[in-house]
Amino acid sequence: MNNLRGKYAIVGVGHSKLGKVPEMGPIGMFAVAARNAIADAGLTKADVDGLITRGPDDVYCHHQRVGAALGLNVTYSTSTDNGGASQVLGVAMACMAIDAGLCTTAVVGFGRDTWSRTHRTETARKRVNIGIQNQGEFGPEFGWFGAPSNYAVSARRHMKLYGTTKEQLGHIAVAFREHASRNPNAFFQKPVTIEEYLNARMIVDPLCLYDCSVYIDGAAAVVVTSAERARDLRQPPAHVMGFGFGNRLSGWFEESNMLTTGAKEAGEGAYRMAGIGPEDVDTAQLYDCFTQMVLLQLEDYGFCEKGEGGPFAASGALRLGGRLPTNTSGGQLSEGHTEGMLQIVEGVRQVRHEHGADRQVKDAQVALVSGHGGNTACQSAMILAREAS
Amino acid sequence: MSEYAKPLPYPTVESEPFWDGCKRHELLLPRCRACSGYWFPPGSTCPHCWSTEWDWTKASGRGRIHSFGVYHRVYHPGFEGEIPYVFAVIQLDEGPRLVSNVVDETPEKLDCDQPVEVVFEDVTEDVTLYKFRPAG
Repeated sequence: MNNLRGKYAIVGVGHSKLGKVPEMGPIGMFAVAARNAIADAGLTKADVDGLITRGPDDVYCHHQRVGAALGLNVTYSTSTDNGGASQVLGVAMACMAIDAGLCTTAVVGFGRDTWSRTHRTETARKRVNIGIQNQGEFGPEFGWFGAPSNYAVSARRHMKLYGTTKEQLGHIAVAFREHASRNPNAFFQKPVTIEEYLNARMIVDPLCLYDCSVYIDGAAAVVVTSAERARDLRQPPAHVMGFGFGNRLSGWFEESNMLTTGAKEAGEGAYRMAGIGPEDVDTAQLYDCFTQMVLLQLEDYGFCEKGEGGPFAASGALRLGGRLPTNTSGGQLSEGHTEGMLQIVEGVRQVRHEHGADRQVKDAQVALVSGHGGNTACQSAMILAREAS
Repeated sequence: MSEYAKPLPYPTVESEPFWDGCKRHELLLPRCRACSGYWFPPGSTCPHCWSTEWDWTKASGRGRIHSFGVYHRVYHPGFEGEIPYVFAVIQLDEGPRLVSNVVDETPEKLDCDQPVEVVFEDVTEDVTLYKFRPAG
């Protein structure tokens, strides 16, 4: 295959209202996000001939529902099934589809009514707690529910092998919350101190409340087209310089997968395609379902050595003004969880230099954006750059 | 005896013999005739060499805590009285890892790599669960 480095770009980004949006469903929010992204690009409905979507797992043929809501007929569309790794995968699929001549301009997005599903009514609250695990055996009978325990066992093993501390994990949560205080769209904007973090209630020890991402209602979308076409559009393009994937399908508990994740392969692939290394990255927008997953990715994407994620985070590197300003929107830990779609949006905004001085990474040229999910097995990474060369 | 309020396993055609073994207080693992490898959860193909020739083999029931988490949040009403309880990934001496609980010890005294042994809990007339406790 020919190298796609810099041939395609994200030319528009958009999102729906974020947070508590009980008046809208996930498809409706997605349609709003898509409309906003297309308008941001300076394009119209007639320009869109590709659609790659992801929504709640219980929506069959999700892309068809989104397409119907937007009144779209396209040449290329599908829904993806890699959990939170799907959104970066979707952008990569859009680039490949355009390169293969299957479409010219694709919308990629995600939308889910996660806050409403879990909080709107008492029944909703109970249903999600019990129904969160669709596994029939080897889990629920032992009280294994929800996602936090996967990252709790990873964190405890990391602590055992490398001496990582709870306080070091706390620096991730505290840094992202500080960023969220500069983001009017963030669900939680009030800064948290390390003391507050250390005194927070436990969810699955060693992970506490602030180690877990925030359930919100929301959708976000981006528009992908050729870099050539991007030159005539409204916004400075965010060039897709590389992407890579690593899916350790053998399982999170197998081998050393809970300590060294598929992000290693995903990063190697993305760096190779982009022709750069971790030292060239100006800002990272990492998939932060839990603080522990950020810590693992800092190591797996080569920003520090394996086992050094804790000291790296505690050094202040992740803060705006630090060595690697990370999740400058507040991330899923503070802005809200949209399966990584808002991480892509923030990566684009950073390389566009769209933010005010309080949130803009100074002279950001290169952003690494990651996705992670499925049953913790799937990793995706993408390099965005202001310049294509 | 009050009714058992926690979720029960829903065995599949491939896991039924495993759960029948638990009822007899035996921990069974699939073992490959071709490569001698073990695996878990049960499945009809050896994930190491892809052979479909294998036998149910009684495991030693001994292993180590690979890692664990302590639940402080109730996700299911059946566990309301159990908080805090220990969810653990157990590394069996035979190789496979499985999810279970560690019982008979306070969470503060547990550690990764600590030796454990299987214990069986007959939770209903039809279902027996495998759990682990620190080994002497």
